[in-house]
Amino acid sequence: MTEDLDIKLIKYTQEGLPLTKTPYKDIADGVGMTEEEVIGRLKALLENGKIRRLAASIAHRKIGINSNAMTVWKVSQDKVEECGKIMAAFEEVTHCYERPTFPGWEYNVFTMIHGYTDEECENVISSIKEKTGLDDYVMLYSEKEFKKVGVRI
Amino acid sequence: MSLSDTDKKILQRLQSNIPLTHRPFLDLAEELDLDEDLVIERVKAMVDGKYVRRLAPIINTQAVGNSATLAAMQVPDKKIDEVAEVINGYSGVSHNYLRKGRNKELPLNIWFTMSAPSQEKLEENIKEIETRTGFDVRMLPTTKKFKIGVKFKIYRKG
Repeated sequence: MTEDLDIKLIKYTQEGLPLTKTPYKDIADGVGMTEEEVIGRLKALLENGKIRRLAASIAHRKIGINSNAMTVWKVSQDKVEECGKIMAAFEEVTHCYERPTFPGWEYNVFTMIHGYTDEECENVISSIKEKTGLDDYVMLYSEKEFKKVGVRI
Repeated sequence: MSLSDTDKKILQRLQSNIPLTHRPFLDLAEELDLDEDLVIERVKAMVDGKYVRRLAPIINTQAVGNSATLAAMQVPDKKIDEVAEVINGYSGVSHNYLRKGRNKELPLNIWFTMSAPSQEKLEENIKEIETRTGFDVRMLPTTKKFKIGVKFKIYRKG
């Protein structure tokens, strides 16, 4: 279970750290804790994996990373582990997951590929094909963004 | 505003953990061989310029007890905007995209991610979307994670 005070701290900080010289002190004042406690709790949350990172979320389109290809792959069960690791090793592959299949949907491995151009994404896909020997895949490019926000609790 | 090399250097570093210290920007500045005031000023400018959404904890929703899934729907063209709006109305929806297969046509075209405080609530929301829109929703939860860590390579040239 996540403690109430941790939840309170996450809720307070998830909209953004104060951009001051002493952000944790300012958070502490806001939530009624000491600076040491804020730092200690955030460290613990990072260590136990409840927080993945305390870092900048960047607007990738704004900095020119305009191409985003969700590529789905049909991978036989005995090769999922090996292929997943190969795919995850590419810098441009930001997410790599195995997901369930169902009748009419046979693509079980998903890679999210980000690049400055479509060509850059397609080069990554070619390398993945070459290294894994896979050839049944679909590149699903985003045509329209309806919503994109950070995950909040 | 366009990003300077200094901005890019700061941005690249900020995608990894920000120090948990009394003066984190001072520590970052020393690491990057820059001045603390300059780092804070440039981060503020990049937030104002919308290059950076925020500096904040990236939450592992499952680890804090939430349930999440990727979901997909097959919706005819003329209904897409209407359905997308229904989906967007849920606060647990963080991503919602219209996607088309480039090398092969696929029937599923609306793709979104949703999280909820429990698996029950998640499934209830998904059912509600089906009822409200009249279209099926396919849930594609993660069965195995190989990588999650959106960290972009910021080009320093140009």
